[in-house]
Amino acid sequence: MNYQKEQIKNALTLHQINTNNYKTNLYAIFLATPLKRENVTLDALLTAVLRRGTKNLPTQEQISQKLEMMYGASFDCGVEKTGDNHIMKFYLETLSEEFLPKPEKLVEESINILLDIIFNPYTENGCFKPEYVESEKQNLKQIIEAKIDNKNKYSYDRCIEEMFKDKPYGLYKYGYIEDLEKITPEELYNYYQNLIQKCKIDLFCSGIINNDIKEILSKNENIQKLQERNPEYIVNNETTEIKEKQEPKVVEESMQVTQGKLVLGLDINNTEENSRFIASVYNAILGGGANSKLFQNVREKQSLAYTANSGYIRVKNSIFIRCGIEIKNYQKALDTIKDQLKEMENGNFTQEDIKNSKELILSSVEGITEEQDTEITYYYGQELADRFISIEEYINKIKEVNKEQIVNLAKTVNINTIYFLKD
Amino acid sequence: MKIIESSKIKEKAYVEQLENGLTVIIVPKKNTKKKYIIWGTHFGSIDNRFIMPKTEEEVFIPDGVAHFLEHKMFEQPNGTNSLDTLMALGIDANAYTTNDHTAYLFECTNHFEEGLNELMDYVQHPYFTDENVEKEKGIIGQEINMYDDDPSWKLYINAMNCMYKENPIKIDIAGTIESISKITPDVLYKCYNTFYHPSNMIMVVCGDFIPENLIEEIKKRLLPKENQGEIKRIYPQKEDKINKKYETAQMEVSVPIFMLGFKDMQNSKEEKVKKHIAIEILLNMIIGKSSKLYAKFYKEGLLLSEPSLDYEFSNEYAHILISGTSKDPKKIEQGILETIKQMKENGLDEEHFERIRRKVYGDYVVEYNSVGDIARMFLADTIKGVQTFDYIEQFETVTKEYTQEILKSVFKEENEILSVVNPIQN
Repeated sequence: MNYQKEQIKNALTLHQINTNNYKTNLYAIFLATPLKRENVTLDALLTAVLRRGTKNLPTQEQISQKLEMMYGASFDCGVEKTGDNHIMKFYLETLSEEFLPKPEKLVEESINILLDIIFNPYTENGCFKPEYVESEKQNLKQIIEAKIDNKNKYSYDRCIEEMFKDKPYGLYKYGYIEDLEKITPEELYNYYQNLIQKCKIDLFCSGIINNDIKEILSKNENIQKLQERNPEYIVNNETTEIKEKQEPKVVEESMQVTQGKLVLGLDINNTEENSRFIASVYNAILGGGANSKLFQNVREKQSLAYTANSGYIRVKNSIFIRCGIEIKNYQKALDTIKDQLKEMENGNFTQEDIKNSKELILSSVEGITEEQDTEITYYYGQELADRFISIEEYINKIKEVNKEQIVNLAKTVNINTIYFLKD
Repeated sequence: MKIIESSKIKEKAYVEQLENGLTVIIVPKKNTKKKYIIWGTHFGSIDNRFIMPKTEEEVFIPDGVAHFLEHKMFEQPNGTNSLDTLMALGIDANAYTTNDHTAYLFECTNHFEEGLNELMDYVQHPYFTDENVEKEKGIIGQEINMYDDDPSWKLYINAMNCMYKENPIKIDIAGTIESISKITPDVLYKCYNTFYHPSNMIMVVCGDFIPENLIEEIKKRLLPKENQGEIKRIYPQKEDKINKKYETAQMEVSVPIFMLGFKDMQNSKEEKVKKHIAIEILLNMIIGKSSKLYAKFYKEGLLLSEPSLDYEFSNEYAHILISGTSKDPKKIEQGILETIKQMKENGLDEEHFERIRRKVYGDYVVEYNSVGDIARMFLADTIKGVQTFDYIEQFETVTKEYTQEILKSVFKEENEILSVVNPIQN
């Protein structure tokens, strides 16, 4: 296998993916910490402040210039929710040394810059530079306010928020303006120092790498300073998500739109080990592609929608149905969707549907190794769910799913939340 | 088969023009599992007036036909839809329409041959009836509504309106509810018969293939067609001025979004690739991530993230677009114009130029990471009359002096425009 992982100093997990499918090497560091209302905004702000400067490259301009000299290496960072964890993600992508117009050493330099950005930030008087914190607060404020700009994304986020009200997964990954305003540079720096001693740290290196990464890490001062730890984070997988059956919650919201957005959040009340493979196939039949029940019945047969699909969120054992519809068609579209859920429970789908849906899933699973960040995300997902399964095994598990299992799972599916954005 | 090559990035492309006029480009990629095929016709939203080669009849078509035709190609006489058939094989299939071309594509890991059967079957078999054309109007009407709600689309259309008085680039790709209401099966067949002739089409395939074998597979699946003469496309006279400096709209956004443009008055003899590279270097020097101007705007909270930088060109239009989000677009405009003025007066800084040159080189190489990017790039470039590897191979010929000339000839204040979408005032 081209994937290996090992512990460095009980503080960091190193994952190496050796592949020559790409012209680039991709390095990623992920910091994971439990999602909490009091921390989400701090996490989002911290990620933004860290990219502003390091002790060696104190300004963003200097970082960018350095990366440009490395043939346009690109740095990116952001926050994501994965289950009940908040993940701060930092990526650096460079050309592989093999494709440079003239020989240069980029691997060690890349890893050192990435580590510096996270563990050796620029400080003044033992604290983050107040100017950096202030301007990132302003920026983050605009990002939070811009939540409404993309109506598709907004309605999806709002449905999740309502479905997981007062639970970690319902939190907005960028945080909240009222919390943001109160954060001081000192508070942020204290939070940071505490966080990096406790959080889970994973480093991924993917591409054509002939260097010994462990040796590079052992020489790096930032790594030498890291404390050993039992990282604080939450393990989420299908067996950990216990649901209660309840009447669907209906939420309607008005905005200036010509197209309505209908989002349904579904609970899967099945905590059996490996039910995630059954749920994947169930979801693909329901709303996975152009052959799915939703696409065929909501869009094609009745012309009720331009988009109609569903997605399975493995870590929360939930499914979200998303449609863009004409506002006046709300009831008709909702009834049609409910009919499709009933059809699934009654087993009104064919072996052909199952086969098609498996093909759809398998082609995306087989494509994992063709995109560098997707491959990293796959292995990191396994790391957080605390269960390792190779891509080959994954494929076999999907192939094994049968109709009876899908119908049994369908009987445990309940609508939790119906969200509608209208004019 | 002609072989073109880029030694720097170790890639090759096999190019062949078949007897019926179809151009086939194969880019082999050893050891990749994904395969990508795209079949495009040189027919986009700007082609709204033309002379049919066979009958010499001049045809005017309603806005949105190329896109409408794209939607309708999937439908088969037996009631099936080719998109579904491909999806059922686990093949990710799609189609899209741009200003200057329409493309049908799929990506897969398995079942390439079955996919090829289906793709080459449906693209060669149009099936339009009064009934199925009417039904499609409902679906496309929804899509048009979606665009109408999209502030970034409005921003773009207004920018085009600033630059051009009469140029078909101003047409919405999907048309309007009103224009598509005029579409009939007859219009669709006329366009299909004219533009979907092999001599007006290009097929690009990327993946782990033996080119000689693949080309035979493609030939086997092509239907015989009579040769066709050149399609005469009629476009409005090119304008040597912009239409207006500024246009603004109000929509549901939280912060204003802007698009600043420079209309480029091209001439037909220039080297397109070299010019394109020089423009990309200049845009990065002016307002790219490491520029002084971006640092200043970021510090002042005027820009949250780097603006996106584009150069769009065909024979009928060419323009530079700088777009982003800012609470004060006018200040962004002033800053950009002032920086350009200084760069013209003081000349380009040696160190800065070298750094950005390296960065832009890296950007071109990264495109070769994905079979889909490679295939789409070859298709779009071939339609424009450009050879894709030239971006890598001609890179070294773009000198500081040449780049300076382009700065003077393209980034002119009199050709600059600004489009802004502001939040709705309560």
